[in-house]
Amino acid sequence: MSTRSPGALWQSLLKQLWLPVLCVAVLLLATAGSTSFYFPPATDVLATLWRELLHGGLVGDLLFSLRNIALGLALATVVGVGAGLVIGEIDLLRQATAPLLDFARATPTVAFVPVIILTLGIGSGPKVFLIALGSLWPILLNTISGVHGINPAVHETARGYRIPWRLRLLKVVLPGALPQIFAGIRVALSIAVVLMVVSEIYGSPVGLGNFILQSGSSFAVPETWAGTVLIGILGYGLSVLLLAAEYMLLGWYHQRPPRARRSMSRTMSRSEAKT
Amino acid sequence: MLQLSAVLAVLLIWAALAAAGLVSATALPGPTAVFGQFPQLFGDPVYWQAVGDTLDGAVTGFVAAAVIGVPLGLVTGTYAAAEQSSRLLVDVLRSFPVIALLPVFLLVLGSTPTMKTTVVLLACVFPVFLQAQYGARSVTPMIAETMDSYRVPRLLRFRKVILPSATPSVMTGLRLAATTSVLVAIGVEVLTTLPGIGHEVVQAQQGGAASRAYAYIITAGAIGYSINLLSTIAERRLLRWRPPTHTD
Repeated sequence: MSTRSPGALWQSLLKQLWLPVLCVAVLLLATAGSTSFYFPPATDVLATLWRELLHGGLVGDLLFSLRNIALGLALATVVGVGAGLVIGEIDLLRQATAPLLDFARATPTVAFVPVIILTLGIGSGPKVFLIALGSLWPILLNTISGVHGINPAVHETARGYRIPWRLRLLKVVLPGALPQIFAGIRVALSIAVVLMVVSEIYGSPVGLGNFILQSGSSFAVPETWAGTVLIGILGYGLSVLLLAAEYMLLGWYHQRPPRARRSMSRTMSRSEAKT
Repeated sequence: MLQLSAVLAVLLIWAALAAAGLVSATALPGPTAVFGQFPQLFGDPVYWQAVGDTLDGAVTGFVAAAVIGVPLGLVTGTYAAAEQSSRLLVDVLRSFPVIALLPVFLLVLGSTPTMKTTVVLLACVFPVFLQAQYGARSVTPMIAETMDSYRVPRLLRFRKVILPSATPSVMTGLRLAATTSVLVAIGVEVLTTLPGIGHEVVQAQQGGAASRAYAYIITAGAIGYSINLLSTIAERRLLRWRPPTHTD
């Protein structure tokens, strides 16, 4: 990487950027003089987004949604990693719960939305609960398979030396499973964003989902598009943020030579694909 | 045996929770009430109609996503330049929560089955596309160079080298998308008036029949679970020629 000349860097940037730039340009041009009711000029949408963010209540909606995602995801991570470490460590438990967990993951959390919101109300609590419920499974399953996937030799050694369980957990099991845990959290994040939108469309006085629903049903098309674009930015921004956090925490892992990483990354991409 | 007892234990805890009245019966009815709904539902055409409607939207969207995503992924995966230039665009689009497009689609397409299929298609196309791309890229450089130096014709190369080496990854993508398709179809039904399992859950819950709502949720879970199971079996069958990549 470091041997690259600045010219090569520019070249790769150019290679990656030309198509997105072209797409944006085409989008701007194609809708520039648009009189279509459903597809207002892209500049109008952006202007609406800017105006709503500055003067409208959109910032409040954004904060409400962000807070729910953060709380739900944090809850799911704590519960998922905690339970996953226990289930992954105890073989008997892992085998016993396997079909149950598979079923739980296959059950669409969106179907719970009416049940939870109609009984628990339209506040923030039920939404955090729903987001946590949906995000829990990928994190839990990835933690289990990450713990289970640690080389048996490593495990035996740690046991053989009678390393106290707390030390073993902190120094052997958790670091070993961390790459996969992060893969799980990445999947969970996209689920969390979807559940945020669904729960807010279904019943909420605030939030981004409510914003696009309200503007959509009152035929305020630029506002609808603006809200949709904002949710897209939010989704992408959060995933970039998560990748950055992962890179910082897992620097030791990413900096390993690819060969030493291969066996691990293979299991990782598999489990990521599973979810 | 072990797994059966775990299932039983969960059912017992569920029953105890419901009996203790810690949560109201509208939020969580007991397992006997929920499973007691099934004999009645199985005889009800509405139930089968709802399941059919959901599957219809899910399968149509899924097939469309496969038809679009697999070839596109294979082509962009084969040519590094195509992969590089589409990377950023795909990255942004893929992290877009498709369900957020629902109000827009409701405006443009209205509350129609086509709309449901379109949303499912958009949600499924990225996992299929990315896995196909990843698979096509997995051809080792040595093999790629060998093909280059022997001037293997493009079509032959595609059929005999790229396709076989990409198949496992493509299968993974399809399996992922199959699960997603049902999920998204139900999500759309919950939020709109389109018929299907999601709509029935809302109807049952609003009508105060919480145990019926749960029966539909369990149905949805069973569908997701069987799709996953079936596609795992199909994958194993189709890929019998290659050594298993995982053993557990």
